[in-house]
Amino acid sequence: MSWNRPLIIGIILLLLALGWLRTNSGDTELVRRSRLMMGTIVEIVASGRDTGQLEAAVDDAFAEIARLDRLLSRHYQDSDITRLSQSSKGGEVAPETAEVVALGLDVARRSNGAFDMTLGRLKILWGLDQENPVVPTQAAIAEALEGIGFHALSLEGLNLIKRSPQLMVDLGGIAKGYIVDQAVMVLKKHGVTSGAVNAGGDMYLLGQHPEHPWRIGIQHPREQGGILATVQVRDKAVVTSGDYERFFEQDGHRYHHIFDPETGSPARGCQSATVITDSVALGDALATALFVLGPQKGLELLAEYPGSAGLIVAADGTLHPSQGWANYQGAP
Amino acid sequence: MKKPWQVMTKGDWLIVLTLLGVSIAGIAWLAAAPKGTRVVVTSGDQTCFIAELDQSHSVDLDGPLGKTHLVIDATGAHVTSSPCPRKICISMGPVKHSGDLLACVPNRIMVRIEGPADENAPYDLLSR
Repeated sequence: MSWNRPLIIGIILLLLALGWLRTNSGDTELVRRSRLMMGTIVEIVASGRDTGQLEAAVDDAFAEIARLDRLLSRHYQDSDITRLSQSSKGGEVAPETAEVVALGLDVARRSNGAFDMTLGRLKILWGLDQENPVVPTQAAIAEALEGIGFHALSLEGLNLIKRSPQLMVDLGGIAKGYIVDQAVMVLKKHGVTSGAVNAGGDMYLLGQHPEHPWRIGIQHPREQGGILATVQVRDKAVVTSGDYERFFEQDGHRYHHIFDPETGSPARGCQSATVITDSVALGDALATALFVLGPQKGLELLAEYPGSAGLIVAADGTLHPSQGWANYQGAP
Repeated sequence: MKKPWQVMTKGDWLIVLTLLGVSIAGIAWLAAAPKGTRVVVTSGDQTCFIAELDQSHSVDLDGPLGKTHLVIDATGAHVTSSPCPRKICISMGPVKHSGDLLACVPNRIMVRIEGPADENAPYDLLSR
């Protein structure tokens, strides 16, 4: 056999092509971006083969989050929620607002009011968003509780009806989850089958991580930076409510942001409640309800939702997993 | 039988050397890519600070409310003082794994750990 030029050049080109294919073919691209939105860090992860498609999906998902936040947040003067709170009887709302409220009312009814979207005035009274919050007087708390409760809010089509003029709607315990769900829908519409949308720890895990099932760490409620448990999930929402992020201390007591609608004060039965379920909106509302109800009643409520699981850390630090929790438990 | 290099013209050599040069340059570029884990800070939409995670550092970061003080040490990157009302950024503690995020939302400061995926990280995302 004799050497010739085309053969040599051909071999070199073939080797280069194989090298290029080795580095590019089959590789999964990962687009990971984060922004400050909805008063927290929102992170979107999308993986797939087409970077352009992933970038477009993530851009559109962020745009959807911004749109819905303007509709559902009480921090915008022109939002549905601000408009409702300022009106005496309620009024017509956007279909998205109606959808959130309908789900919230259902969880409120099933939890016997432990989840409550009418605590707007009470939350302002406690002022946990302010620099120097103080414990309000019992008289002020009683006044903020007047005319509220889930029975004071109803929905007829797109008409949201307030039974009491001073009722201030607050979707803080459900809107963020709903918005995350809608952002996930946007990713799906773009053909993304693997990714995550995480808004300050309330998240949905789409498909699985490029290399393994999604591994989600659950924050330890009393150890800064500590992990209470790790779960492995795919196509599930994971939401945690805890007393450790927004709180102040007065006279040796911790006053946090999850209120018991019966007392008008921070709920005392738990340190944290984690829920794994099918949508972040439901998980968001259930995690709040479980926290308020405490371990026993909380797990009874969770049992009404097939396919859901949870882990409650009681006020004394004991762990109360639901029946299905072990199915998700990963490496410690 | 002639040796391969005896049948190649100057043009052949030019093609071969060009391809080899491109390959070597590509390998060198990949080798020069950053391998360490970095702390990247954005203020608003602008990247305002980048540092290696394994080198101790202390910096004041300007935001609309004032200065957020970030410390990088053996525990990771963490906020030690902040002009924000609720100090959630301080209570979040240190971040150190690739992909970890820390933010002072009122002061529009976001700290991100960037680098190769940490095989030893116990989780991909944190629910809190």
